[in-house]
Amino acid sequence: MIRCKNISKIYHPDIVALKNVSLHIQPGEFVSIVGQSGTGKTTLAKLLFAEERPTKGVIEIGGWDISKIPNRDIPVLRRQIGVVFQDFKLLPKKTVGENVAFALEVSGERPKRIAEVVPQVLRIVGLGDRAHRYPHQLSGGEQQRVVIARALVHRPKIFVADEPTGNLDTLNTREIIDLLLRINEFGTTVVLVTHNREVVNALKKRVITIDHGEVVSDVEEGRYRI
Amino acid sequence: MFIAFYRASKFAVQNFWRNVWLSLMTVSILLLTLLSINVLLVLNVVTDRAITYVEQRVDVSVYFYETVTEDQLTSVVSYLRTLTQVKDVQVVTAQEALARFQTQHEGDEEILQSLNEYGGNPFGSTLVVQAYHVDDFDFIISALDHPDYEEWIREKDFSNYQDIINSIEASTDRVRWFGYGLSGLFLLITALIVFNTVRMGIFIHREEIGIMRLVGASSWFIRSPFLLEAILYSFLATVLAGALLYPILLQVEPKVDAYFGSVTGLTVYFIQNGLWIFGGQFLLLALLNMIATTFAMRRYLKI
Repeated sequence: MIRCKNISKIYHPDIVALKNVSLHIQPGEFVSIVGQSGTGKTTLAKLLFAEERPTKGVIEIGGWDISKIPNRDIPVLRRQIGVVFQDFKLLPKKTVGENVAFALEVSGERPKRIAEVVPQVLRIVGLGDRAHRYPHQLSGGEQQRVVIARALVHRPKIFVADEPTGNLDTLNTREIIDLLLRINEFGTTVVLVTHNREVVNALKKRVITIDHGEVVSDVEEGRYRI
Repeated sequence: MFIAFYRASKFAVQNFWRNVWLSLMTVSILLLTLLSINVLLVLNVVTDRAITYVEQRVDVSVYFYETVTEDQLTSVVSYLRTLTQVKDVQVVTAQEALARFQTQHEGDEEILQSLNEYGGNPFGSTLVVQAYHVDDFDFIISALDHPDYEEWIREKDFSNYQDIINSIEASTDRVRWFGYGLSGLFLLITALIVFNTVRMGIFIHREEIGIMRLVGASSWFIRSPFLLEAILYSFLATVLAGALLYPILLQVEPKVDAYFGSVTGLTVYFIQNGLWIFGGQFLLLALLNMIATTFAMRRYLKI
């Protein structure tokens, strides 16, 4: 599903974010990418949905080399990859339903299809009764679930979550991780970027540890060890 | 495609309303630009009408000596009528010229007494020659220098009309160049204002744009609301310019007509050619604004 071959990312003039990273993530896997702040985790996540391009190396998503992806093809890639960030990136003047529908609207989806899909994904994330509320009327965990719902509307094959629990308390963190596990159970490949030790240890899934831009360990049923 | 266009238009209108004061300021500047262009157009129409009016009345008066006979006069008329440049030749006989002079100076005893003292008819016959075009008069005048006729002709009078036309052209040319300069300046300001408005729009909507990119909106979809907004500005400015210009023309036209002593038909001209005039101005403005928007997007919208 995801294959990185010797990728490096160097920011101008000589800041090395990633150095010769190679990894292979199978379809349907749940992978945690861990490491301390500034080790290159987020850079790796950004490379996966072409927010950044590698300075060197090859990234393949489903056999598609996206290392030199032309700008016109990026929207096609992004409709196949759901992305969630620590900061919720919700539009404050739109309701929950409108925020989720926005992802479909800007992709040119028909209104009838939007009306069908939005309630479905809101039910999946447990917000079926919050469609008409505004983001500021929701808790942090609920807001993050709206973001997950928005990322799910395209039925992505890959789900990249970059520190999705960074702003949440323990209870909400648990709910979000449970939701990611459910998404994974549906067959979606989940890449979770985090430095939350408890979350990683509780998951008992594959853990890739990055330190100073390099993969220092890749364990099938790993734990957080830094 | 239609749905995408509809949504892009919706976002464009939303952008307009969310920054309504900035949008109104932009439209005002576009309106000023269009008004200056239209004032220039009005000036062109009035000048053209004024020159046509003068040209229609331009003629060459050819004064003959009293000794010239009617047959000789007829031969000159026949000759002139063979010239393709000549539109019409009117004959004013010596008697008619005398009668006209007496009518013109009816109340002026001194002149009429002088005429009586002269004892006869001091006037010769006159030919009033009209040409199809004012430029043809030089040819007609030189044609009258024909060896057969030049001894009969006392005087040819034309120069005054050319002076009037030259004077109209010279004064309107100055105003016209000033108008071109002003319109050019407004167009430049328009482009800069639109550039800045788009820059502000991109800054205000940076969060929304970021989400659009994240969820897979095409770059066309992200860019198009800004381009449509530029078209919306142009459309509103054009409609307002038309709405303002019409009552202004209704007020100004009688005064212009009175000045030139003829019907300029300014309002009718703008109504008859409105589609071309305002359609053209809308296209020009929309094109300029889209270019300015494209530059602003290239500079500030990173997709």
